[in-house]
Amino acid sequence: MRTDSTTDDVLRVRGLTVEYEGVAAVSEVDLTVARGEVVALLGPSGSGKSTLLHAVAGFRSPSAGEIWLHGRLVAAPGHAVPPERRDVGVVFQNYALWPHLSVVDTVAYPARRRGTGRTSARAEALLILRLLDIARLADRRPAELSGGEQQRVGLARALARRAALSVFDEPTAHLDTHVRGLFLEELRARQRDSGTAAVYATHDAQEALGLADRVVLLDAGRVVQLGSPEQVYAEPVDLWAATLTGPASMLTTRVARADAEHCTLDVAGTEVRVACKSPELSDPSVRRLLVRPEWARLGGALPGRLRAVWYRGPHTDHLVETPVGDVLIRVSGAVSGRQVGEAVSWSLDRTWALAGPDGPPPSAQPPLSSAASAGWSEPPRR
Amino acid sequence: MRPAAPAGSSPRLLLALATGFVVILVLLPIAQLVETVLREGTGTSTLILSSPEVRTAAVNSVVLSVAVMLLAVPLGTAMALGLRRTDVPARAFWRVAVLLPVLVPEFVLGYSWTQAYGRAGFTDALVGVHWQGVLGPGGVLAVLVANTAPVAYLLAAVGLATRAEPDLERAAQASGAGGATVMRTITLPLLRPSIAAASVLVFVLSLQSFAVPQVMGAPAGFTTLTTTIYADLSFASDPLSFVEAVALALVLVLLTAAVVAPADAMLGPRLRVTRVAEPAAAPLGRRPSTGRWVAAGLGGYLVVAVGLPLLALLSAAITRAVGLPPRPGNWTLDNFRLVIDQRSIEALGRSVALAVLAASLLVVIGACVALLEHRRFGRGMATLSILTLALPGSTLAVALLITYGRWLAGSLVLILLAYLAKLWALAHRPITGALDRLVPEELYAARASGATWLTAMRTVALRPMAPALLGAWLVCFLTALHEVTMSSMLYGPGSETLAVIVLNSQELGRIGPTAALSVLLTLLMVVPALPLWLLSRRLRVARAGHAGSDTGNDSATDPALRGSARAY
Repeated sequence: MRTDSTTDDVLRVRGLTVEYEGVAAVSEVDLTVARGEVVALLGPSGSGKSTLLHAVAGFRSPSAGEIWLHGRLVAAPGHAVPPERRDVGVVFQNYALWPHLSVVDTVAYPARRRGTGRTSARAEALLILRLLDIARLADRRPAELSGGEQQRVGLARALARRAALSVFDEPTAHLDTHVRGLFLEELRARQRDSGTAAVYATHDAQEALGLADRVVLLDAGRVVQLGSPEQVYAEPVDLWAATLTGPASMLTTRVARADAEHCTLDVAGTEVRVACKSPELSDPSVRRLLVRPEWARLGGALPGRLRAVWYRGPHTDHLVETPVGDVLIRVSGAVSGRQVGEAVSWSLDRTWALAGPDGPPPSAQPPLSSAASAGWSEPPRR
Repeated sequence: MRPAAPAGSSPRLLLALATGFVVILVLLPIAQLVETVLREGTGTSTLILSSPEVRTAAVNSVVLSVAVMLLAVPLGTAMALGLRRTDVPARAFWRVAVLLPVLVPEFVLGYSWTQAYGRAGFTDALVGVHWQGVLGPGGVLAVLVANTAPVAYLLAAVGLATRAEPDLERAAQASGAGGATVMRTITLPLLRPSIAAASVLVFVLSLQSFAVPQVMGAPAGFTTLTTTIYADLSFASDPLSFVEAVALALVLVLLTAAVVAPADAMLGPRLRVTRVAEPAAAPLGRRPSTGRWVAAGLGGYLVVAVGLPLLALLSAAITRAVGLPPRPGNWTLDNFRLVIDQRSIEALGRSVALAVLAASLLVVIGACVALLEHRRFGRGMATLSILTLALPGSTLAVALLITYGRWLAGSLVLILLAYLAKLWALAHRPITGALDRLVPEELYAARASGATWLTAMRTVALRPMAPALLGAWLVCFLTALHEVTMSSMLYGPGSETLAVIVLNSQELGRIGPTAALSVLLTLLMVVPALPLWLLSRRLRVARAGHAGSDTGNDSATDPALRGSARAY
């Protein structure tokens, strides 16, 4: 058995490739998770999140690369430590509660496997159930629980494993919005208390950004970007990453001058100086600029025409047609009095110049329904 | 999910049809059976039931069925676990291959075992080894185990696919459980209802089995209830022997009911709770050696259970005389020439005509009852149809004989009625399953687009149901084609089916001709089955975005095969 005692990382993944019948679901992924750290895997369905988690937990064997847990090599081609000897707790998307076991026996299960007697295992399980405020469910079967309750039991079972790493495979995917909030609150609190590391897969950007210390953007099994939530939101590496992490407008315009912190844009003849942290802005050039809805304001020096207004409750989204592209502007509360089609002025506080070659601007079609309220639309395929 | 009851359509005609069917074919005959026994008085019945021969037959039947259950259920469960939970090479092949013992007619399987392992049989001629006990309780037990293990396998495999989601086992592994512990604490407990259902089914199938005890047990003086009923009806001229047959038929159905009724009450609701399984689940066993052992075990089982016996059958059919070694010099087609005569060709025609007619009528009746099941009255009808499946063929034959015998005795019509009564559930089950799998919203969409209920069924529902309808037809057709329990009790001059001719030939001790006829009967099964099976596969509509394609695959083929196993 290979070990490496020089590291403090709970999980280290190196060049991991996992194949399903010859097709790579995860390709050459590198990832480290430090003690107590929460890392979110964010990507659309089919991006390899679950496969990566399954490989870490030991349900899948890699075809290339290595997985190290606590400095111990647990998976490499031809070498696999079985899941029960990996010290990883798992919370499943579909809860995976055993229909023939009561809640208390389910949560006592990991302790029983450590060799604890039935009575003490149950007592230990009850403590965890109390901690999660579901002790009243102890004698119920999974079929008698709501979705939120089932997932709390799933969380309790993972906690009972007392593992240094927990992996969460889209645990809120089947939960209603308000139950999801409660569950995430619980999860965050337990995570703080226990100080264990966690890898959390989700397709929901808000969940990933709000929960994690670091976010990994996955697409087609490859890591597109890895960084803090603020980084991946404000400084996405490309258009795909930008639309995956939140609502994004794209302006195509000439950058007249740029320094480290600011740049001067030429918007239809009007020069505006905005905060603009971007790596490759030394030369004046035509660039694609990312604008998050809260980076622009209604009112100001720039011309535009209101194309659409969506009231969203806490805020109202305005889609403004401008000479350099459509821009989505978010205003707090309900803003009334503006008619679609009327001329509006706007201003820009901040932008982010996307790297890569200049291309035609993406079509900024407004979403047809409120279903797309979280963002503009599906992220474009890379 | 069930499609909503067809609003506005009148099920009265369907209901009348189905009720008439049930009354004429099931309720009236069974009532006649009870009435006959009561009329004869309890004294006669007691006399019959206290005779040592009858008691021996009853004890033999029960002990045999329990023994078959105790062996076949663990064997079938082990096969399911081996095929689904290890990385066995060529999994797709094995999944079809393990069903072979159930696809060979029961009679042919029994007879081929005697030819393979008996004195002067295939192994005796080749390597000088034979099994003394192949004729007798040991042989009957072995063949029934081989014949019913696939049934247990199917139920366990469906249970694994629908109840034991891979994530449930992964959750146990992630909680620290090793392979054996996962099996003990999670997989087997989840399979408990499936195993219990398989036990009941195997017990009932063994209790009803007639051909195997008749071919392998009767020559050695080993009698069961079914072979005693057959002997009473066929050979005895004593009027008391007919009463004995009637009484034993009732005993058989009471024994069945004593097992099935409590089991249905206990297992019914639990079995109905199913979950959708993840498609193409990864095998959880990781050591490649496990898979190879499983493949070796399955291969050995199939060679012993089906391969050698069928080879022996073919060898006996083409060898000039009994006892000659199976060498090319001794090969001849004389046995085939001998048996392909006027009588057997006519019997073949009758068999095929009966099977086609029965299958076609059954699909119509099965569809009617399946549609009615979504109505209030239909529910009871569906339960009844499942009970007829448990009704022993021997009982049904006797009951139909005393009810309609005075008009129809010895006629093909009576045999047809028996087939319809016995095989009803085989047609009904797959069609109900297909109806249940219909997505109600698709029918609603058709209705909302302006289609009437009937048009919606025809344009939207019929196409996805086509494989199930064809599958139901095929199962009924094949089962009727080699049905021998009822046919052999109900035939008269000019109404023998091919299976009856084979049985008679065996009883006359003609080894070569019997083997030749058995080969023909088996070919008769395979020849139409293959193209129709392929057609039903092609008809299957691929559904995008539906989870559980693995399960769906099973449920499309399995009820059909399961059905054919239950028919005896």
